[in-house]
Amino acid sequence: MAYIEIKRLCKSFHKTQVLRDTELTIEKGRFVTLLGPSGCGKSTLLRCIAGLETPTSGSILLDGEDITRLEPQKRSIGMVFQQYSLFPNMTVWENIAFGLKLKKLPKEQIAEEIADILRVVEMTGKEKQYPSQLSGGQQQRVALARSIVLKPKVLLLDEPLSAIDAKLRRSLQSRIREIHKELNLTSVFVTHDQDEAMVMSDVIHLLNDGRIEQSGTPTELYTSPRTRFAAGFIGHYNLLSAADFCAATRGLYEGTSDIAVRPETVALSAEPLPDEPDAYLFRAAVADSVSHGNVLRYTLLANGCKLHADVLYRDAAVFENGAEICARVKKADCRPISG
Amino acid sequence: MKRKAGGPIVMLLICLYLVIPLVFTFLYAVSGDWSGLLPRGITFRYYAEIFSDPAFLLSLLRTLVISVLPVVLCTIFVLLAMFVITAYHPWMDRYMQILCTIPYAIQGVIIAISVLALYANAPPPLGNRILMLTATYCVVALPYIYQGIKNSLNSVNAGCLIEAAQILGASKFAAFFRVIVPNIMPGVTVSAMLSVSILFGDFVVVNTLAGNYYQTAQVYLYHALFRSGQLSSAIVIALFGLTLLISLCVFFLKRRGAPGGMR
Repeated sequence: MAYIEIKRLCKSFHKTQVLRDTELTIEKGRFVTLLGPSGCGKSTLLRCIAGLETPTSGSILLDGEDITRLEPQKRSIGMVFQQYSLFPNMTVWENIAFGLKLKKLPKEQIAEEIADILRVVEMTGKEKQYPSQLSGGQQQRVALARSIVLKPKVLLLDEPLSAIDAKLRRSLQSRIREIHKELNLTSVFVTHDQDEAMVMSDVIHLLNDGRIEQSGTPTELYTSPRTRFAAGFIGHYNLLSAADFCAATRGLYEGTSDIAVRPETVALSAEPLPDEPDAYLFRAAVADSVSHGNVLRYTLLANGCKLHADVLYRDAAVFENGAEICARVKKADCRPISG
Repeated sequence: MKRKAGGPIVMLLICLYLVIPLVFTFLYAVSGDWSGLLPRGITFRYYAEIFSDPAFLLSLLRTLVISVLPVVLCTIFVLLAMFVITAYHPWMDRYMQILCTIPYAIQGVIIAISVLALYANAPPPLGNRILMLTATYCVVALPYIYQGIKNSLNSVNAGCLIEAAQILGASKFAAFFRVIVPNIMPGVTVSAMLSVSILFGDFVVVNTLAGNYYQTAQVYLYHALFRSGQLSSAIVIALFGLTLLISLCVFFLKRRGAPGGMR
């Protein structure tokens, strides 16, 4: 049963249409990510759910209720912003208490709720500090606490970690995920970082030019992209036209569809590899190799066709530039793509 | 060495240029007979005279009231207008800016005579001189108040804070006045006090519109000019002292900086 339903949502800013008949459903308790490049409409979609933008047409249902034209303060939705948006004149305690005071809760209950939530976000002891005295990560945790203390039906997160350094971002990713599970929230997360989406999400909706390009679990999206855009955005797929792949495999590939191949599925060997009926074997020359930490990415030239192959350092010998090698790709790993 | 000494020397010369007239005005106000090159004796009788004159003290009070009240009213009006613009119609901001900066270009005497010509024979309350003066001062202070509020709103990213407050359950109105206004209050206060000091020193508008109906310190000074040069010098220094006090308050408030621990 869908908890959030977006039905044929359109949004235009002057003459620019940002959302085009966008449709998606979100189940209760799921951590859902809206993923896509800058300008694809993911933040606009999030802001429409929050009520900060009014759609041009279409509807948004939350738990069966049409909230399309409902004011933001009446939607029972929490939101964490990219710029944190903490109130600079208020302490951490006052920031978190802001929404609780608007609900006219008793002082003792407010104090108890704030103490609990500060424990959850690991910010106990920082109650009297002002936002300007906190680090970026701390500010983001206070922003998170301020939103979830009100026990919203849905938590929206608009690229909350984009301004944070990589190491702290990884730590906060797992903390947000833990809080989501602990409090049994329904969360909608916006990011342009596909690695972040893979790590955090139950479901990913990939947006392109205001439309949902593909939806699925991280594994589904990663292993089975359906379009050229999806394959190009998720992972580091080799996107090859039918003609190029046919040339690379020297005619072994006889299909007419363009092909997406994950670089980690390209096996390399200095020695000739035995024939396999369910794989394409071909020879290639090493044009370049780049280290990505524990992964070595080779650029191969196979009969004029360029493709990449990723190997773990511990698995393979290092091939020199210019070396002639044998490559193998299983037919099952060659995904036909459209668009 | 030459370059290092040049800056302080220029500063010193500028300070002397500004301070010397005040020093001599003060000396003239406290001097006894000054018919020769140097004064004969020191006397504070002119200061005693003005500070024991109920008319002077009353004029000071009137000046303070007529300087503060229009600034308070103008601040409230501009804050309400900026709320509507920030929360609902951001596109109106450039038109608001044009309207609010027009008074910069209009001389005080033109404003005063125009207001008088338009409203002098109008029925009450429009024809009331004090009301005319208050409203005219609101217009005179408008550019300073508007710019102070505008700059403060820009510095706090008002739009994002309003959105955050709305998500937490506040209406736009509550968000603006419970979150934005407390954040911009130091900037608003500074521009308000600057406006007060500008209105405090005005003579043309108040003399044209109110004159003897509402004698302010500047009008009192004007009349004193015909009585005694030393008396008027004493008044000038007294008014300067009060204006300096207002400016020091502005300086002190500015040094306190934005709220939120940023000192």
